[in-house]
Amino acid sequence: MKLAQIFSVRKSLTYLLILSMIYAAHSIYFKVKYWGFSFSPKEVTDIWTVDAKISFDAVDDKTRVILSVPSQNSRFNILSEEVVANGYRITQDREKNRVVFDGKGKKGRQNMYYRLSLYKDAKPNVVRDVPQKLERPILEEEEKMQMTKIWELAQLQEGDKVQKAIKVVNQEMANPSMSLVLPLKHTAKEFAEKLIQILAYKRIPARIARAVKLEEGKKTEKPGIMIEAYVDDSWKLYDLNTAKIGLPNNWIVFQRGGVSLLDVRGGENSKVMFSVLKSVATPMKMAEHRAKSNQALSQYKYSIYTLPVLEQNTLKWLMIFPLAILVVVILRNVIGVTTMGTFTPMLLAMSLVKTGFVEGLICFSIMIFLGLVMRAVVAKLNLLLVPRISFVVIFVILLIQLLTIVGYRLDSGLVSSAIFFPIIITAWIIERASITWEEEGARNTIKEILNTLLTAVVTYFVISNETVRHVMFAFNELNVVIMFIVMLLGTYTGYRLTEITRFAPLVNKD
Amino acid sequence: MLNWFKTVKALKEKGVLGMNDRNYSVIAKYNDRSLYTLVDDKVKTKQLANNINISTPKMIGIIEHQYEVKNLVKIVEGYKTFVIKPAHGSGGKGVLVIKDFDGEKFYSASGEVLTFKQVYQHVSNTLSGLFSLGGRYDVALIEETVNFSDVFKNFSYHGIPDVRVIVYKGFPAMVMMRLATKESDGKANLHQGGVGVGLDVKTGETLKAVLHNKPVTIHPDTGANLMDLKVPFWREHLLIGALAYDMTGLGYLGADIVLDKNRGPMMLEINARPGLAIQIANGLGLKTRLEEIDKHYPLGLSAEERVDFVLNN
Ligand SMILES: Nc1ncnc2c1ncn2[C@@H]1O[C@H](COP(=O)(O)OP(=O)(O)O)[C@@H](O)[C@H]1O
Ligand SMILES: [Mg+2]
Repeated sequence: MKLAQIFSVRKSLTYLLILSMIYAAHSIYFKVKYWGFSFSPKEVTDIWTVDAKISFDAVDDKTRVILSVPSQNSRFNILSEEVVANGYRITQDREKNRVVFDGKGKKGRQNMYYRLSLYKDAKPNVVRDVPQKLERPILEEEEKMQMTKIWELAQLQEGDKVQKAIKVVNQEMANPSMSLVLPLKHTAKEFAEKLIQILAYKRIPARIARAVKLEEGKKTEKPGIMIEAYVDDSWKLYDLNTAKIGLPNNWIVFQRGGVSLLDVRGGENSKVMFSVLKSVATPMKMAEHRAKSNQALSQYKYSIYTLPVLEQNTLKWLMIFPLAILVVVILRNVIGVTTMGTFTPMLLAMSLVKTGFVEGLICFSIMIFLGLVMRAVVAKLNLLLVPRISFVVIFVILLIQLLTIVGYRLDSGLVSSAIFFPIIITAWIIERASITWEEEGARNTIKEILNTLLTAVVTYFVISNETVRHVMFAFNELNVVIMFIVMLLGTYTGYRLTEITRFAPLVNKD
Repeated sequence: MLNWFKTVKALKEKGVLGMNDRNYSVIAKYNDRSLYTLVDDKVKTKQLANNINISTPKMIGIIEHQYEVKNLVKIVEGYKTFVIKPAHGSGGKGVLVIKDFDGEKFYSASGEVLTFKQVYQHVSNTLSGLFSLGGRYDVALIEETVNFSDVFKNFSYHGIPDVRVIVYKGFPAMVMMRLATKESDGKANLHQGGVGVGLDVKTGETLKAVLHNKPVTIHPDTGANLMDLKVPFWREHLLIGALAYDMTGLGYLGADIVLDKNRGPMMLEINARPGLAIQIANGLGLKTRLEEIDKHYPLGLSAEERVDFVLNN
């Protein structure tokens, strides 16, 4: 009867633990996927700012400038878009991925800016438009022969049809018989246009794409030219030199298809200058934006990450404690370390985080040592309990004050870190240690202090770890898991590690 | 590592009770928390014991408030020897045994000579909770000194030996005697260097003796052969344990019993969370013993019947 009761407590806690783990796993997956959270505190998101500076000489009374801009569907998320053009009417056409500037009565050199901030997202590049079926172009006999020849040669190349065509054109360029196809001296644009013709012969829809490489400090007037072809029911980008498929990392397509990158009416000598700047942000800073672009904003709004920074920092500090508590529970109930007070080691560990490890330990030892000496002197006075402990507390305060001043004068962080230790805890350790000393001797006292310090040190290493802190904050649902682990540990009836040695004489025959 | 697993396995086979298991499977189950107050307060324990005829050292008086401390001399009037202890103390903390008192000076059992002021101080400290669990305010209990029987004289160095009976569901389950040594400084706690002697629960004779977890046969200071130890009034010792269960309702308890020259076995205190060192002193696993009682011992017996059952099975 009673045994069944125990069984069910353990069982239900196990179920709850499993449930909490499933919940945490799901929640973590969600945060990583839709908010872009990462497990590493060091991970940063690159934010690229591309400035397009357009300039031209206005000649007509009415001027219109059309700039092609990256589509919303690129694999980059657009963080912000900014257009600066004095006295121009600005229209942003999302459908056609372009920005239109309309001006009236402009004279002389005109400058306008389009600034775009982006960051890469996990989602793939999707271009959804489906091209019309291509009819085979009607060609002159001579051209036709050329095309057949090219495609004959192309069969010897590797890759898909587009890749084959690119390779052939690249290889046969020097061949005089090809000079009609493409002059030896040609621009990338001419190359691409020729390629589109060659592909059209095989009824493969293709178009030019202009992309800017995202590279810190890069300045260019000419975006890179690539070919985008519709193969196997999707648009694919091809490099014109290597025939590699796909947009290289850190390239962003500004314009694709027949429209030009920059179209200026009523002006001349137009040019556009791209310059690229890189900055970084933590994934957490980007989370809100990512959540928004992934339609996961409502969950985000009710998370702790939208709170003011001050509250967040406090919570970040709090979120580490369940883990520290777990460590203490394990050390006490599974390992069997006996410490002074249940959570004293944890509070010490917290102080060590603030003081720095070595400084903190040395400073703490000094305080405990001086405190014990003082307490031993005072023991002779036979003071009553409350006044005596109060004395120790005041002594510790004075000691902290003294050490802080001395530390400041000597410019030694080691000494001045005294200020971070909790006064009451320190006083209490001193009092407790001195009583243990009187009653159970120096050996037991030192053992108890060392155990407490050891537990504090272990806890310190857990809570001071940058990654652990980050993970416990970013994935705070883990605390629910820890809660159930701690509860389950409350039903752990196995031997403590230290008991194995303690009871070993019972079973070891000697 | 492998050795550890072997040890764990062997310990399990032997039925050695670990701390977690004790807390979870025994204490949490059979010791209702509300019963703790009965044994944490020595004054209360004494009154309960008197009600059901468990003999304890007679109470001389109690001091509850600081202003009463000056009445100490009046309270102990007519006594040459007495003991002051905190009602909520543990581990012998704050127990002051006065061997002799001549109206001016107090002579403690540990050989100190104290002035009235010092004793006053001690009582004051007791009231302010210096020796008590959690440091809360306490009362000082003043009781008669036990006239220790001479039978154990050679077995203990200075200190007083006591018998610890572990009682499970009212049945005396395991017993040990604790002997003071030079090292333990008159105290009989095993971790302070006292000798633990496991006693056969049926006879009161030595099973095994340990010092610092290691088997011994001879007392390190007096040289007495520990194997010769036999506790007189054995049935009475066990009966005190069995009655302690009736008195408190604690399913798992430890009763500390001392032997008085004139009045026989007397209960000093009851512990609701008795430690596990008794297993080492007996060379036996307590869990095995508790399971035996669970399985084979009858329910509904009186204290006398339970003791007889233990003695005869
Ligand atoms: N009435 C007494 N007469 C003689 N010695 C005593 C008396 N009461 C206590 N002592 C001594 O003090 C020790 C501790 O007393 P105890 O009542 O068990 O308190 P605690 O709960 O602190 O262990 C005993 O083991 C015994 O040696
Ligand atoms: Mg005791």
